[in-house]
Amino acid sequence: MISLTVQNHQPFAIKNIPILTLQEFEGSVREGMLTHARMIGLFGLEKTQTETTVIAVLSNPSTSSLHLVGTVFTAINNRYNSFAGVHQQTHYFECELAENHHIIPEGHPWLRPVRKQTVVLDKQPYSMYRMEGEEVHEVAVGPIHAGVIEPGHFRFQCHGELVYHLEINLGYQHRGIEQLLLNTSAAQQNILCESITGDTTVGHTMAHALAVEAISRTTVSLRTQTLRSIAEELERIAMHLAGLGGIANDVGYAIGAASYGRLRTLVINSSALLCGSRFGRGFIVPGGLRFDATTEAIELLQKNLSLVQKDVSTINSVMFDASSVLARLDHTGTVSGEWAKSIGMVGPAARASGIELDTRSQFPYGAYRYSPLPLITLSTGDVFARARIRSLEIDESIRFIFEQFENLPSGSIFNELQPRAKESGVISMVEGWRGEIAHCVFTDSQGSWKRYKIKDPSFHNWYGLALALRSEAISDFPLCNKSFDLSYSGHDL
Amino acid sequence: MIESIQLRVLQGDPIVHDIHHASLPPLFRGKPELHSDQCPDGCNECQKVCPTNAIQLHPLSIDMGLCVFCPLCEQQCPEKAIHFTNEYHLACSSREQLVVSDATKNISPELASEKIRKYFGKSLKLRQISAGGCNGCELELNALSNVNFDMGRFGIEFVASPRHADGIVITGPLPKAMAEATYLCYDAIPSPKINILFGACAISGGIFKDSPELNREFLNNYPVDLFIPGCPPHPLTFIAGMLDWLDKK
Ligand code: SF4
Repeated sequence: MISLTVQNHQPFAIKNIPILTLQEFEGSVREGMLTHARMIGLFGLEKTQTETTVIAVLSNPSTSSLHLVGTVFTAINNRYNSFAGVHQQTHYFECELAENHHIIPEGHPWLRPVRKQTVVLDKQPYSMYRMEGEEVHEVAVGPIHAGVIEPGHFRFQCHGELVYHLEINLGYQHRGIEQLLLNTSAAQQNILCESITGDTTVGHTMAHALAVEAISRTTVSLRTQTLRSIAEELERIAMHLAGLGGIANDVGYAIGAASYGRLRTLVINSSALLCGSRFGRGFIVPGGLRFDATTEAIELLQKNLSLVQKDVSTINSVMFDASSVLARLDHTGTVSGEWAKSIGMVGPAARASGIELDTRSQFPYGAYRYSPLPLITLSTGDVFARARIRSLEIDESIRFIFEQFENLPSGSIFNELQPRAKESGVISMVEGWRGEIAHCVFTDSQGSWKRYKIKDPSFHNWYGLALALRSEAISDFPLCNKSFDLSYSGHDL
Repeated sequence: MIESIQLRVLQGDPIVHDIHHASLPPLFRGKPELHSDQCPDGCNECQKVCPTNAIQLHPLSIDMGLCVFCPLCEQQCPEKAIHFTNEYHLACSSREQLVVSDATKNISPELASEKIRKYFGKSLKLRQISAGGCNGCELELNALSNVNFDMGRFGIEFVASPRHADGIVITGPLPKAMAEATYLCYDAIPSPKINILFGACAISGGIFKDSPELNREFLNNYPVDLFIPGCPPHPLTFIAGMLDWLDKK
């Protein structure tokens, strides 16, 4: 494919992105996807009165490379041939582009709003799918749900208990983060990134910091890199424990829920040992870290983790052996590997369906370059696999953290940032606990941000949840939902 | 069966027994302690770095309704005039009370009215509304029901339906898209009802306060009973505040 090829966190000059004719652009993107590249971005980079420059970003895990290619649309020439009919993974990206820039994918099979539910995308307002027929009924849930949880609207088309189609309407959490990021101070940007989704504070601040450091050609010490990865793995362990607790709770396995809950407290309190916040707030900043780990903190943290390691293995072995639990998890909410791949699922949910995808091993960054983590996959793609994979990842993350502490490098935890390169860009991917996070960042002629595009892993995976519900009993929705554990705010931005 | 008992034994005694005297990690940031007498003439370093404009000078004060406890001001201050202590008793019953100055000693909300204490003193059911909350506040509110904090022991619980609730706890800066649902939910709760704001975003908009995507009109129309500052607030800040407010010591 004709494109600019870069690596993860490698800065480039914007002028090096080939801007092609529409036909060449379509051909190039298509060719990329036929050679196993995944779409991770399709967005407007620049907008003048008459023209919008659109960039497609593809990532190829097998070659660890990223590919950028662009084209120009005008108010009259604002249509292109949709890719989504063949490559379903582009479906939502095309919807997002239409919603933000009114650039219409011709022949798109399911053009629907992403965050602005009332916007008119093509010719008429969108109305949700509706099944007609005797004994067919529709169940609507949300935006406010039963639990203490973020808002979203779910619409089920059911026949009796059986779900034929689940449609997910989001956007209630839209706070305009991408826009806010453009004209604010560095400190504000960092807090905004901490709040993209507060359960992935470390993941998103990591992506942000690596992007800023790359574009200002600033290196950070080995110690910084290691402590950052430790924080990232702590976040993963904590959220995986929270997820397993939720699953235990949803199947009525109370002792499991209570146990995972207790251990999660230990882990997030360990994050607070590093930076004072149970969610890693204020820890990672562009240029390094705001707090250094003291010897006492490290000792206490290791003590906590040893306890977690010991208890979690007991709890896991009991829970994943209990027939009453397995009866609920096995063969529930299955997403086949083929589906997972075609819709571009990411993270543990994708790996549970057998997809080999993990930014830490395929596009390694920071400490993961020196201490690789195994890429774990399972094959069944059901709730069981999504739960089990999280328990396996906890084991590996704990092991990783102990390994890092064994020879924690010394060094400074902060380096002054150099001036940002002008008219440049960088793609910053990290593996949050939900999967691949991508921050696509571009500067203008002054070195200020001109575009800050964020992709949370949930952007791909919400559709996976909808597919998991096909031909499932509606009563299994909470369980399926919990097994995906997706972000509303990360999706809505 | 044996295994379940084994798991129960592993649990030990994880509960925070004394809500008012828990010890939090050294770096935890609670109530700021200010010493404006140490401020050098003309210095405004803290104000310059504050991401949420929470700091006022002459006299020095921090608005905990805006503060996200980042703590850049503490780190920037050349004279250590600002220090975030471990004190997690931060809940207030008025917006003004959230503004901390040199003179601020202990923070505690004024007692709820007699009617509220009579109605809800023994059992209080709350409905949570996440309106743009990033899931930080939501996770901390969820933590209130885990085995460590177990707020249920004080008769305070979250419920699914607003019809069963005695009040709401709002998190998040209130995006436009949640405006209608917030009204609907609040209106569905029988009176008397209470209104609690949890976290900087709910209290002031926090880091999002200048976003054009918000609609915070709801808060102009309904009184707020309790403010719980933090980003996110610690679960103990919530429980301690509730106990103080309802006079359940
Ligand atoms: S800790 Fe609070 S007052 Fe201080 S700089 Fe951060 S947001 Fe501002």
